[in-house]
Amino acid sequence: MSNAAAMAEAEAVKAVPVGGRKEPRNYIFWFAVVWLVLVLLITIFGEWLPIVDDPNERNADTIKKGPSWDNWFGTATFGQDVFSRVVVGGRISLRVAAIGTAVGIGVGGTLGLLAGFYRGWVDSIVRLIINVTLSIPALLLVIFIVAVRDQSLFWVVFAVCILAIPALARIVRASTLQVAEREYVKAAEVVGAKRLSILFREVLPNVMPTMISFAFLTTGIILVAESSLSFLGLSVEAPTITWGSIIAEGRISFQETPHMVFLPAVVLFLTVLSLNFIGDQLLKRYDIRESAL
Amino acid sequence: MVLVIILVLFALLAAWVVRVAGARFAVKRLGGAVLILVIVTFGTTLMLRQVPGDPCITALGTGASDEAVAECTSERGLDDSVVEQYTGWVGDVVTGDLGFAFYKNREPLSDVLEDRAPRTAWLFLYSQLIALTVAVPLGIWAAYQSGRAPRGVPRWILPVAIAALLGVAVVGGWGIAGILTVSVLVPIFVFNGIRGGPSGDSTVNTGAFVLLSIPVFVLGETLRYFFAIKNDWYDLVGYSPWNEGVGAHISSIWLPALVLGLAVSPVYLRLLRADMVQNLQQDFVAVAKAKGMSNRHILLRHVLRPSTLTLLTVAGLNIAQLVNGAIVVEFIFDFDGVGSYLIEAVARREFFAVQTLVALVAVLFVVTNTVIDVVYTTVDPRVRAEDEK
Repeated sequence: MSNAAAMAEAEAVKAVPVGGRKEPRNYIFWFAVVWLVLVLLITIFGEWLPIVDDPNERNADTIKKGPSWDNWFGTATFGQDVFSRVVVGGRISLRVAAIGTAVGIGVGGTLGLLAGFYRGWVDSIVRLIINVTLSIPALLLVIFIVAVRDQSLFWVVFAVCILAIPALARIVRASTLQVAEREYVKAAEVVGAKRLSILFREVLPNVMPTMISFAFLTTGIILVAESSLSFLGLSVEAPTITWGSIIAEGRISFQETPHMVFLPAVVLFLTVLSLNFIGDQLLKRYDIRESAL
Repeated sequence: MVLVIILVLFALLAAWVVRVAGARFAVKRLGGAVLILVIVTFGTTLMLRQVPGDPCITALGTGASDEAVAECTSERGLDDSVVEQYTGWVGDVVTGDLGFAFYKNREPLSDVLEDRAPRTAWLFLYSQLIALTVAVPLGIWAAYQSGRAPRGVPRWILPVAIAALLGVAVVGGWGIAGILTVSVLVPIFVFNGIRGGPSGDSTVNTGAFVLLSIPVFVLGETLRYFFAIKNDWYDLVGYSPWNEGVGAHISSIWLPALVLGLAVSPVYLRLLRADMVQNLQQDFVAVAKAKGMSNRHILLRHVLRPSTLTLLTVAGLNIAQLVNGAIVVEFIFDFDGVGSYLIEAVARREFFAVQTLVALVAVLFVVTNTVIDVVYTTVDPRVRAEDEK
């Protein structure tokens, strides 16, 4: 079940028409990279930048105002600057996504690599872990974990890691299975290289590109999952800001504050789009089969 | 009663699989599914014990009397071992006792489901239909265009169209972002669509890609704003069942279903296109072409047909996407389905109801996928041979 799906997913991205595409439209790729770097820089430097104010500073004169030169994204319920809130909220959202992906690559990638390379009982166990975790829909699983424990940053990150591990393990396993069948791996075996050396010298470098590309896609998925969670009001609690919680707050008095819903949503959308696009392009660029033939 | 029918159906399915594909295969596949089911449901029970403090005190509130807490604890098997608690839970669920939520005066969960599950089921059904009607024609079209040369549509149409739309937009006076989007993106899309060929293919692909990247709640909020707040085309009055008339039923559900359908359609679209592009490169397509069959016949009968199996598998896996989407969509549209019940139960810390719901969804997901998987593998000997390697 999982393997077929993983392969299909990877194929869906790679499928290229017979003639091959003439010009890879790289300018969109670079646009995505620039956007992502911009978002990262602004969220990391945050309050040190002159364009960002204190996100919690209340101002009675500007309550629920639309976008203007002073407040690019308008103002929130108590007159806080929404742009600053988006910047500071992005820090939590992006951090959760980054940690989730890192753990996903570390744990899930290792599991997938071992499963695909050693096969046998290791594979059975890893496959069981993947199937069990994936049999609960992602958002439901995250909601369940957060509901059972509490809505602190630690448990949100934990839940998101639980999400990322099987997703990446599945992809890496499928990719490893493919790579392990290839001639150079067989050749290394014939030459008498040690198993571990084959794993690290032959298989891992060739699985890496797929893993990195899917890491971008996974980051996007986690970002969406975390935002959905805080949109539903189940993520990190009140004084902490995330992108989803800004949107959820703007939603309450929608008629007056549509900018609080749409502008953060556009930022979130563009970030997810960039992540997906970069992952997609990398997957096409480093597709092992295509470049080998 | 329902349970008996379901069990009989499963027995028939298992018997059929054993007859066609052999007992070893059946045990491997069905046994694997049962193992996963047991582990998942056991996992949810185990999670229930991870609630900080006493789950019963949290669920009943700190003002609850000691007797009530003690009753809840023994009723839920929290004073037994995990295994006893789990077997007790399984016994209850199998006999149709799904437990209850405290805050609604102990309204049994099975009543809630009886009331609300049809709504969510209709939502799923309509959204799947919408997703497929969007994705299948576009997927076929994109796969077909991907191998063709573009038509010779002159390039000057593009700036003319942009200028024309820009003019309309300026005169009409929409918001600045709207002007930019509509007057630049729409002509480019239409232009590429008319040109067909690889650019037509990439237009569909890009559209699917963008749709895939929009979080469901953003899509839902946007469409809700446009259809229900800005214009009065959708009433946020809640669900009305079939027996209140077809018109009322459809008009009460179309927007949530549209949001959910749009959210899952790019998955189908991309997979169908990829699968069909692969099929188009097969030898049998060349043979069919050499025999003089029409393009339409080749596409629909020889290329689409093998892809329907892939589509079916994806439909099974997409249940997860649907559940994720339904939770959010029901929240946005105040649609009283199972998803909004879940959110409510989580907000009220009704762990037992939440745990049962999560376990039931997992069971539904695993069972559906196993059935699809087993049927597909049994029907198609190629996949079976591949699997036994």
